[in-house]
Amino acid sequence: MRNIFLVTLFVFFISAQLAMGSERDINIYKNIRCLVCQGQSLNDSNSDFAVDLKKVIKKKIINKESDQEIYTYLTVRYGDWILLDPPLKKNTLLLWALPLLFALIGGAFIYMKALISHPKK
Amino acid sequence: MKKQFKISLLVFVTVIFFIIFYYSLGANNKNNPNVMLNKMLPTIELTSFTNSNLKQVLPIINKDKYYLINIWSSWCVPCREEHPILMKLKDKIKIYGINYKDKKTNAASFLSKLGNPFYFTGSDNDGSVSIELGAYGIPETYVVSSKGLIVFKHVGPLNKKIYLKISEIIK
Repeated sequence: MRNIFLVTLFVFFISAQLAMGSERDINIYKNIRCLVCQGQSLNDSNSDFAVDLKKVIKKKIINKESDQEIYTYLTVRYGDWILLDPPLKKNTLLLWALPLLFALIGGAFIYMKALISHPKK
Repeated sequence: MKKQFKISLLVFVTVIFFIIFYYSLGANNKNNPNVMLNKMLPTIELTSFTNSNLKQVLPIINKDKYYLINIWSSWCVPCREEHPILMKLKDKIKIYGINYKDKKTNAASFLSKLGNPFYFTGSDNDGSVSIELGAYGIPETYVVSSKGLIVFKHVGPLNKKIYLKISEIIK
């Protein structure tokens, strides 16, 4: 009885580990752009390029490489464009700063309008 | 005065947007060959597609001034188109071929029919060697210096213009 319990526990543990592994794969695939498809992530694509790249990433995961190491491997070869969530760098500064800038300008504009229509007494 | 300021601001913002969109439209983000330019060629081990005991490790340092790497396949139509150019280049530069996801018999018959421009041909059965080089697909061509630096990369079939460019680099 005890042995059956231990075997069941072992099977559950292994399946949990496998499930965690595949979830990590999918999270990485979702953050990588399929460079030969139009606006698809690696996870959504079954093109030759995507299938090959998934195999390479899978191998790296099995070799216990971290997510960051995998992203660096890819950006060295394909540039930041391969990441769907581009890092904050000198050449992506505009991309990150523009929404914030527009929010600030818009906020200031609304505040000024409100101030004009409801002046403080 | 206030109206003038608003119009100027609107014009300024529109111009900025126009400039950003103009440059973004012209940018080739899809397959930018410049990413690998002036970088060391990643170390790859090629296994001959005719004899699995024959291996070739790249980059080769301090041997030839330049050498060329070409990724090709017998089923790829653009590879067939660029083949005469590779045949012309083989007298000027050593060419290492990477045979991408191909059947041995088809690749051998392709080379026997159209000529073999390759000094060494390695197999890439699962596409991993091509990804190691930062390739997008086939055909793709790299010119590597004696120091192992990628000095030129071309995505797509070679043409007369690219042939002249490569000839200029390696002369």
